[in-house]
Formats: sequence, C-alpha cells, structure tokens
Amino acid sequence: MSAVMKARAMDHQQQPVQLAQPVQLAELLRGFMPFAVMCLALGIAPLVLSPYHTVMLVPIVAYGVALLGMNVLFGYTGLLSFGHAMFLAIGAYATAVATRYGILSFECIVLIAAAAGGVFSLLIGALCVRFTHIFFGVLTLAFGMLVHSFLFKFYEVTGGDQGMRVLRPTLLGIEWDMSATQFLSGPFFYYCLALYLLIGVIVFRVVRSPLGLHLRAIRDNENKARYLGVRVYRLRLFAFVLSGVLASVAGAILSISTGLADPELAYWPQSGNLIFMLILGGATTFAGPGLGALIFVVLHETLASYTHYWRFMLGATLVFLVLLLPDGLLGTLARRLPKRAERKAP
Amino acid sequence: MQYMNLIMAGLFQAAVLFLVACGLQLIFGVQKIVNLACGSFYALGAFFAITVVGLLQSLELPMVLLLPVLVLSGLVIGLAGAPLELLLRPIYRRDPSYQLLMTFGLVLMFQDVFRFFWGPVPRSMDSTLYTIYGSLELSGFRVPVYNLLVIAASLLIALALGQFLKHSRLGRIVRATAENRNITEAMGVNSAKVFTLVFALGCALGTVGGALVIPTSAASMTMAAELVVDAFAVVIIGGLGSMAGAMAGAIVVGLMRAIAVAYMPEVEILAIYLVVVAVLLFRPAGLFGRSTA
Amino acid sequence: MSTILSARSVSKAYGSFQALKNVSLDIRDKEFLSIVGPNGAGKSTLVNVLTGLVTPTRGSVHFMGQDIAGIGPVKLAAKGMARSFQLINIFPEATVWETIGVAVASRLGRASNPLRSLLGDRRINDDIQRLARTFGLQSKLFEKGAALSQGEKKLLDIASALALGPKAILLDEPTSGVSSGEKYEIMDLLVKAARTEGVGTIIQVEHDMTLVARYSQRVVALQEGRVIGDMAPDAFFKDPLMLDAVIGPAYSQHAARQTEAAC
Repeated sequence: MSAVMKARAMDHQQQPVQLAQPVQLAELLRGFMPFAVMCLALGIAPLVLSPYHTVMLVPIVAYGVALLGMNVLFGYTGLLSFGHAMFLAIGAYATAVATRYGILSFECIVLIAAAAGGVFSLLIGALCVRFTHIFFGVLTLAFGMLVHSFLFKFYEVTGGDQGMRVLRPTLLGIEWDMSATQFLSGPFFYYCLALYLLIGVIVFRVVRSPLGLHLRAIRDNENKARYLGVRVYRLRLFAFVLSGVLASVAGAILSISTGLADPELAYWPQSGNLIFMLILGGATTFAGPGLGALIFVVLHETLASYTHYWRFMLGATLVFLVLLLPDGLLGTLARRLPKRAERKAP
Repeated sequence: MQYMNLIMAGLFQAAVLFLVACGLQLIFGVQKIVNLACGSFYALGAFFAITVVGLLQSLELPMVLLLPVLVLSGLVIGLAGAPLELLLRPIYRRDPSYQLLMTFGLVLMFQDVFRFFWGPVPRSMDSTLYTIYGSLELSGFRVPVYNLLVIAASLLIALALGQFLKHSRLGRIVRATAENRNITEAMGVNSAKVFTLVFALGCALGTVGGALVIPTSAASMTMAAELVVDAFAVVIIGGLGSMAGAMAGAIVVGLMRAIAVAYMPEVEILAIYLVVVAVLLFRPAGLFGRSTA
Repeated sequence: MSTILSARSVSKAYGSFQALKNVSLDIRDKEFLSIVGPNGAGKSTLVNVLTGLVTPTRGSVHFMGQDIAGIGPVKLAAKGMARSFQLINIFPEATVWETIGVAVASRLGRASNPLRSLLGDRRINDDIQRLARTFGLQSKLFEKGAALSQGEKKLLDIASALALGPKAILLDEPTSGVSSGEKYEIMDLLVKAARTEGVGTIIQVEHDMTLVARYSQRVVALQEGRVIGDMAPDAFFKDPLMLDAVIGPAYSQHAARQTEAAC
C-alpha cells in the first residue's frame, strides 16, 4: 500500500495520534542516563580509591567538561576541531593571570576563564566556521599552533616553556588549609564534579532543544537545513563558542590541579588526545565522550606503568577504533542492541 | 652581503620543507587525505639516514657519495608508506575527519618506533660530513656546497615529479584518479594500486627531506611533531592541493625562519603563524590553492 | 489579488551563454502556476532567480515588495517562500518527526533560545502531527529519512517545505521519479495540504502536461531563455505554437488533425 493511499485511509479515521516516543534501550544509552551513572560512579570512587588515584580523577572531570562542549561541536554539529587544546591553554593562562593578580575565588576564576575562552572562540570561530570538514580541521589546527607558539615563545609575558604558576584558589570563599593531595582529592574534586554535573545538565538541555535539532540538521544535510530556515553560520558559531568556553573552564581546572599553566596544553598532539577521547566513548551519544575521557586517562596511566612504549599502544588503539568502532564504545553498543520499540499504533 | 647567508640558509630550509610539503600536497590532491604523519616520515628518513651513513662510514666507503646515499636511503625507507596505506583504505570513503584521526594514531605509534630503534636521545651524524663537499666563495660570502646541492636536488625532484604527473601515462592516470575516482575506476583503473603508489611516493618525499637535513641538525623524537607545525604553515600559505603552492609556501616559511633565527629568535614560529592567519583572513585558498569547500 | 512575486526584465548570463533573456513575470497571491518548456529553456535558472539562489545579471526580483536577488535559502525561508527540489533532498539520519520539526522550529522562531525544550513544546508537537497526518506519514513518524520509500521521501520533502508556513512555495518537478499512478495522489495531497497550511501561491516546474492541464490556473512557457507564452491552460493547449515549442511538432500536428476531424 503506497504512502498516499495510506493518507487517504487515515483521513477517514481522523484520530489524533498520541505523541509516543519509542522507548528503547538504545535511546537511553544515547541520552543522559549513562552520564548520570558515570557522575555517580565518580562520586563514590574516592571512597574506594587511594588519595593518589583520586587525584587522577580530576583530569577526567576536566576533560569531561571540555568534551561536553566538543561533542556539541562535533557529535551534533559535525565540525571536528583539531586545535581545541588551545582553549585548554587559554583557560589555564587566564587562571594563572587571575591568581597572580590576587583573584583567588574559584567562582571568579571559572568566570574569567569562561570569558577568555568566549572572546577567543568568538574571534577564531567567526573565521573558521565558514569552512567545513577538512578545511575546518586544518584551520583550527593552524590556530592551535599559533596559540602554542605564542605561549611558548613569549617568555616575558607567558613564562615561555616554563609556563606560569597557578595558586590554589578558595572554594565558596573558604581557604582550604591542607596538603595539595588532600585538597585535590577532597573538596576540589567534589566541587569540580558538581560543576561537571551542572554543566552536563545544561548542555543536555541545549542539545534537546529546538536549537539542538537545528544543529543536528546541519550535520545531517547542511544544504537541506538551509532550505528549512536553519541559520547555519550562526549556529555553528554558537556551537564553537560554547565548546571554547567549556574547554577554557576545563583548562582552569587542569591548571589548578597541576599548579601550572603549561604551554604544552596547547600543543597540537593534545588536541589529538581530546579527539581520541571524543570518539573513544562515542560521539553519537551524549555521555560517550565523557566516558572516553575516563577510559583514556585510565588507559594512559595503566599503559604507562607497564611499558615505555605506551604511546604505541595508545596509537594502535586509536587506529583500531577508527577502523572498527567509529561510533565508539557507547555508540556501538547503542547501535547493536535490539530495538524494543513500544509505539502506540494509530 | 650577509643577507646572502641568510637567504641561502632560508633557501636550504625551503628546499627541505618543499619536499615534505610536496608529499603532503600529493597525498591530499589524489587521496584527499591530510597526512598528519608527514612529520613522522620526515623523522623516519632522518633516523634511518643516520644509521645508513654510520654503517657506510664504518665500511670506509668514500664520503663523497654522501648526497646520493642520503637520497637513496630516504627513498628506500619511504617504501614503508606502502604497507601503511592498507590501513587507510577502509576510511577513504568516510568522513574526512577520520583520516586526521587515523594519521594521528600513526603519529603516536611512530614516536615509540623511533624510541625503540634509536633510543630517546637525539642522534646526529658525524659533523665533519657536512663540509665534505667544501664551500663556495661567492663575492664575499661562503656557502657550503652541500646546501647548494640540496637546493638543486630538491628542484630536480620537483621537476621530475612535475614531468611525471604531466607527461607520463602513469602520471596522467594519477591525475585522473585525483579528479574523479569513480570514473577512472569505471574505466578499468585499479585505483587501489594508484593510491598505494601515491601514498608511498608522498611518504618517500618526506623521508628524503628528513634524510637530507641531518647533516645540519639532529634527529630527535620531537622533530616529527615540530615539522607538522612547519609543514602546515607551508601548505596553508601556499594553498592546499597545489605543487606551485608548496614551493611558494616553502620559500616564504624557509626565509622567514632564517630571518627570525638571525634577528628575533623568540618570534620565529609565531611570525610564521601570523602570516598563516593573515593568509587565512584575506586569502583562505592560499597563494595558489583552489577555492576551499 | 495582489502580486507577491515579480521578476522585472531579468537576464542571466553564464559567461557567454545567455540563460535568461529579459524575462518579466508577475505572480499573484493564491495562484497555481506551472512553468513549462523544453530542456535548456532556462526553467531552472528562472526558478533559481525567483528563489534568491542566483543573482540576475540584469533586472530585479521582488517578493512581497522586497528585493530578494541572491539572498539565499535561509533568508528566503524567513521571508516566507519555500522550495522543494527535483532530486530528493532529505535528512538521512533524522526521523520524519525531526525533519518536519526543523521547519516548524524555524517558522516558530524557536531555535534562538538554547534552553527551550523540544519535546515539551506543545505547539511544535501539534504542528508536526498535523502535517504528518496530512501527508499520510504518521505511521512513519519515527523512521529515519533513509529508511523511507521513494514516494514517502518525496512527500516528506514537500511536507517539510510546507511546514515552513510559507506564503508561496516553489516546487521543482514535484512528481518526478514517482510512478504515474501516484502522481495524481501526490498532487491532490499537495493542493489540499497547501490549503490547510495557508500557503496561497504554488509555482511548479513540470514536464507532465496532464498534471499541468489538471492543476494549474496559469501556464508560463519558456523557450531559449524567453517567455513565449503566459496564459490559462485551456488557451495553452489549444495553441499550436505553444505546443510546438514546448512539446514538439508531432503533438501539435496530431492536435491540429484532431481539431480538423472534429469540425
């Protein structure tokens, strides 16, 4: 029976159809749930891990924040930035400058890092989002190299290859008088985790909005999207700025955890690592990249403790992923699960 | 007249960069792949050349053969690109972002390959070999003959490559495959073999570049990542996908490097990337590139 | 009825090739107009100029009194004109619900606030449901675009264009690639949907003369970049010159013989 004949048949019934979203396990995996589960796991982890290992969780949270943004840019809007590490560095150096001038409130620092990231991503994005695919990748790579070279070479301003010191901030106005390990594995970790969760909720809201639908339309078929009134350039820029802001916040967290704003944060292989994490978990899902950050950090640490040649293993993993599991771990899982659709039939 | 020293140094850098950029452009032009591992092949060529030269020295062969030996060893190790191309095959028809990722994976793997075979410490060639060809005195300044030979070799290779692509049968098949892969396949061309050839050729250009540079600098694990920075500047300034662009970009970057090293070392790569950004703002296709997507 | 879309002395040259030569056309509100002509007559170019995709070399084009030369698809949609294509242009990964939703979201201006809810938006949901029902795509609401049949893809294409709530819609061969049995049904659906959605003006480029005869109120014939006829379908099909130019001499001779035999 052709589609048009069905239309005639429907006509006679004149029944309004309930809006029933098919409930599938795959859909759940693509949504907020795995993210919430992961945050819960991260919250419980310090109870079972040593302080040393708990400190390792801080970068996972930091990268997770950055990846929430990068996923909006890539997973939803289809733009893969190969220079995003530059925003990690921008956030880190903004933090260093802030603490140098006596701004020690973490809340203020996050805002300053976010603002710095916003300004730079607006300028850089305005140029880069005019292009797509490989040219976008190459351009963002070039800007990343520019930022790195600036940070690396200008000794007087940025401290050159030695970077800039970052002082310990106050959280909620309280100065935490304890050792670095205690601070990082305790109050700082939980504060950042809460921040991560909050940002996750906001970003999830964004991707589930009509704007998020428009972003996905751009990724799916840019040309058609234009004909349906989607403002492609503006939305791409929005996605870019959002991801730049979040990556800068991540940079702030990272620099506080190491006590240093390091120019190496902007070096292009660092961007490669970010993308590795992005696709490791699965860029087609919401929680995938965050999961990728977790796996990457754990993998990195584990491999490095076993062999000198951990880079080789990591590289081989990436090659394997691209060849066999382009949807990442979570994405492939979501795709392979049998669909148990429950629809209210007309 | 000390400007001439600068210019010669700059042109030497340009000659080496040009070879690597040519390889990048060739691979991009035909296979539409941006090879982030180009720096790794450059480093591979450098390390391998050091080993080969050391071997020949111990066999007490005449060192006047230095240049041809370097070129040959570069070509030989460049063939390592051929089997690696097999890894790239499944992703040709996919989103181009995945190739950046794949080649990045290769970069990571290569780093440890260097470490495994040559150790973590930078290696250099016997420094006396640099001046094996002596130097030339031209109206008040000296230039090592080696530099001139490298510039000449680079130009020759460029010419040979150009002739190959324009006039030989295989060259025309390569260009046709670059234009439209589906149609050339429909005409009976084994595009898989063409791709393997092109990739190996592109990598070989990189390895030869690396081999040629080692009399003047050390081979280190970091040179791979650093070269990518330079190579991308060359390719963006010159324009993606164009051989003439590779030459123009290489000359601009080579000269800027030489000038910066002499007068303002801190500004070196920053100055180059400011030019890159200027090009991106005002002429995104680069000096010679076709218009971008 | 007022003029809503007008082309004034439009010429378009591509290098040395003149695709359009001094074409003037006034299209009124609530008209159903067919643009016909042999291949290479300049129909596509005219359509591209009328939809702001291509800037004319000479002359002007106005929609609702505003200059729309070369404004591009996004601004065009905002101004109230939608367009569909001859070749199917859909979102392979998006579901039918989402595809129509993109257009509805554009029309309602919902895409400027990142924090709105999509699923909780009553208005968007209702509009999508209504459109899907009109086009018979309800049962396929949650299927991905790539999984639909050819006919369904065509319907979705048109449905999503209509979802923009435009004042005028331009359809480039809306029934091409569809079996002849379904052609009438698609056209009937289209006309009905347009009425329900409040789309007044329909402009189509069409090769199938029976469809032209049956649905249009006005036929504009192009040949070699010029308008050679602008009349009601009745007059058009009786005019041997028109038929000659657009369909071919065999038909017009056949028609002439028919007319003779009938006398």
